[in-house]
Amino acid sequence: MKALKLDRNAIGQWLSNMAGERDIYAPASDGPAKGTWTLLTDYSMPEIKPGVPARPVKNFLFPQPETLLKFSIVPTDPDCCLPSEPEENGRKNVVFGVRPCDARSIGLNALACKADTYYQANMDKNAIIGLTCSQVCSTCFCSETGGSPMGTEGCDVSLTEIDGRYIARAMTERGEELLALAESFGKEVTDSDFSAVEALEERARSGSDEIRNPEEQLRKKDLMELYNAPFWQELADRCINCGACTFLCPTCYCFDIQDETLHGKGRRIRCQDSCMFPLFTLHASGHNPRGQKIQRVRNRFMHKMKYFPDRFGPISCVGCGRCVRDCPVNIDIREVMRSLLNFHDMGSVTP
Amino acid sequence: MSTVNEKITEKIRSEAQRLLSTGEVAAFIGYEAGSLPMSVRPFVARKQEDASRLVWNSFCVLNLANYLPALLKSFEPPRRPGDPPPEGPLPKVGILATGCWSRNIVVQIKENQVDRDRVVIVGVPSRGMVSARKVKEAVGERDIQTCIEEDHSLKICGEGFEQELNRWDVVRDNCKTCVHPDPVIYDILIGDPAGERQVQDRFAQVDEIEHKSLEERWNWFADSFSSCVRCYACRNACPLCYCPTCFVDDSRPQWVGKSTEQTDTMLFHILRAYHCAGRCTDCGSCESVCPVGIPMRLLTKKLNKDVLEMYGSEAGMSLDEPLPLTTYNPADPQGFVLTEKSEKGGDR
Amino acid sequence: MGTTSEKNWEPKIVAFLCNWCSYAGADLAGVSRFQYPPNIRIIRLPCSGRVSANMILDALRSGADGVLVSGCHPGDCHYISGNLFARRRFALLNNLLEFVGIEPGRVNFSWVSASEGEQFAEVVKEVTDKVKKLGPSTRLVKRIG
Repeated sequence: MKALKLDRNAIGQWLSNMAGERDIYAPASDGPAKGTWTLLTDYSMPEIKPGVPARPVKNFLFPQPETLLKFSIVPTDPDCCLPSEPEENGRKNVVFGVRPCDARSIGLNALACKADTYYQANMDKNAIIGLTCSQVCSTCFCSETGGSPMGTEGCDVSLTEIDGRYIARAMTERGEELLALAESFGKEVTDSDFSAVEALEERARSGSDEIRNPEEQLRKKDLMELYNAPFWQELADRCINCGACTFLCPTCYCFDIQDETLHGKGRRIRCQDSCMFPLFTLHASGHNPRGQKIQRVRNRFMHKMKYFPDRFGPISCVGCGRCVRDCPVNIDIREVMRSLLNFHDMGSVTP
Repeated sequence: MSTVNEKITEKIRSEAQRLLSTGEVAAFIGYEAGSLPMSVRPFVARKQEDASRLVWNSFCVLNLANYLPALLKSFEPPRRPGDPPPEGPLPKVGILATGCWSRNIVVQIKENQVDRDRVVIVGVPSRGMVSARKVKEAVGERDIQTCIEEDHSLKICGEGFEQELNRWDVVRDNCKTCVHPDPVIYDILIGDPAGERQVQDRFAQVDEIEHKSLEERWNWFADSFSSCVRCYACRNACPLCYCPTCFVDDSRPQWVGKSTEQTDTMLFHILRAYHCAGRCTDCGSCESVCPVGIPMRLLTKKLNKDVLEMYGSEAGMSLDEPLPLTTYNPADPQGFVLTEKSEKGGDR
Repeated sequence: MGTTSEKNWEPKIVAFLCNWCSYAGADLAGVSRFQYPPNIRIIRLPCSGRVSANMILDALRSGADGVLVSGCHPGDCHYISGNLFARRRFALLNNLLEFVGIEPGRVNFSWVSASEGEQFAEVVKEVTDKVKKLGPSTRLVKRIG
């Protein structure tokens, strides 16, 4: 695979080369939009702070809102009641400076969104340029969920900073094409650069994490025992049932579909939904199988840690720590993960 | 020497222990230590052993009154609309209350969400709570690993840095402009009352926006609310928001769309604030819990200012006074009414 | 609401009128043949106290260029005090909307009694003039592309 060494200026030049064909987004470092992914207009190396930006990269895979179709209900309209595709501007994106945890979330969500043509189309539309982490923040726990601060999964190109320069490695065919745009001015990567990257990877692997491969342990556990575990009550006592965790989570992909009509014109949109909300599973009959707060809280964690691994393999958490950092009542998913892993039903008779 | 907060913590623990062990309360709402620096977590103590987990410090930003109506209800036998109220005494709940939280409990009592006889209020005069956001800004958004709180300072440490901050510098804006730090109702008071505070320009932040031009105000509103993710943390952290169905969940008519488009986000924030008119105590819970730092408290603060200026009332100051929007005065100002412009009162 | 070429633009104004006074006032304006601009769309409610902020904002959201809320004069409410409670709510809403940058004059309030047909016509003229000056509403308008 292609690899180049780029300094900050070279990155700027590369960005401006890519900008001909694609819109480039990077996290804003200050102002009211701080932490949100904003369109770059000035093609210099964006300032990217350690840790994850406030918003996850899923906003590109699940645009808020995403128009699925349009329609008219004006009887005199020739197209009345015929759904039509929304217009596309045809532009593709480059999402720059994606942390390994966020990048990894794209593939995890794709497991559940295999048949979701909109998600697949957005995967095609958005090229991911990752940036590995040289600093692991106190709320980060990617390596406990199967990721790594040096991870490249989900990236088309992965950047690693070494002594103020960036080693850019193409990870996919699309990444090769993008990196080719820097070929004329990018420096060759030397063996010592490669070994520096390898050393960082090795350091990341040898971390002293307490938890390794939680998915294997969780898959072995009995679903109903976990479901009826006593610790959910204490979590529900303090959870306020807001959607901060789900909306900031890169691997929460649940959505709501709404038909909006105004003056005879309408559209069908999908926007993110949260299992914390009372409408989430409300049936048309008025019955809600998750009507109580405790049931909603439990669902979020059981989905990530048990239902998802049972069905797809890995746990549906990349350890970005946004929910840990931003939960208003300090519900810490790392503790919940430990509670689930360490839980043994005292009442059961299994040996 | 223990700090003020450590002393308060000791007293809270012993009161909660007594209330739970004597069976006077079935549960006690307080705070316990959190898993991150500068974090505490709301905690419902249900056994007397739990009392030792309770803590008190400058990061108790979420208004505990938020939990009160639902927790009281959880101890009632289930009943359907129209069923008679349950007979006999129901279990009580103990709760910590600072000035603003106690005023919210007053509002809840007046709105029939809370039965005064079923609450044991443990009052704690507030010294002002610290804004974690301000602390993070003060240390340049670096990763904070520990925070040690003294009476007047915070020692913040992270990888490769150590910084001492003056506590008052990082106290939340609503606390800095608070004039009623003492609980207005309580059964037990912990610590010494602080007395009414004298604050110049209580509404300075609101005035600043009012002085902007119309265009500037609109741009301020559009910019500062643009990053809203509609997680409703502000609504759910608010002790006033107990409606079984919120207006955002109405579908026929749908007052507010579900997306994060500008109009829908703005309408949500206008209506959320407006529903708090005459009820909000400026406890700052909404602003403190916002994961993206939206200043939605300024909308309610503006309403608080108008309610005080026009109706001479502040929410929840006494159990005897009606809430300002549940009453009227025939002489209320009405300069905004087209047909009354010429009369006294003038254009406001 | 809808599409109008800019030249021939005429504002659409939603008027929430109380059944007992302002609606009767509008009726009287009609039978007495007082002329007023045809820009208002009347919604009849039992009392101005029934008007909630949701309704006013929903009118703006749906693209109304202006809103008029009108009820009985204070003291004349059919339900004794509905309009007096409403007055406090309207005052606060009016100020809050201005605070967030909604043009003064988009949302208007008036008291018109059943006997004030002429006043009703005057109010509608005044509101229509104001809204015309402001131009088409753009703020808090929902657009679904």
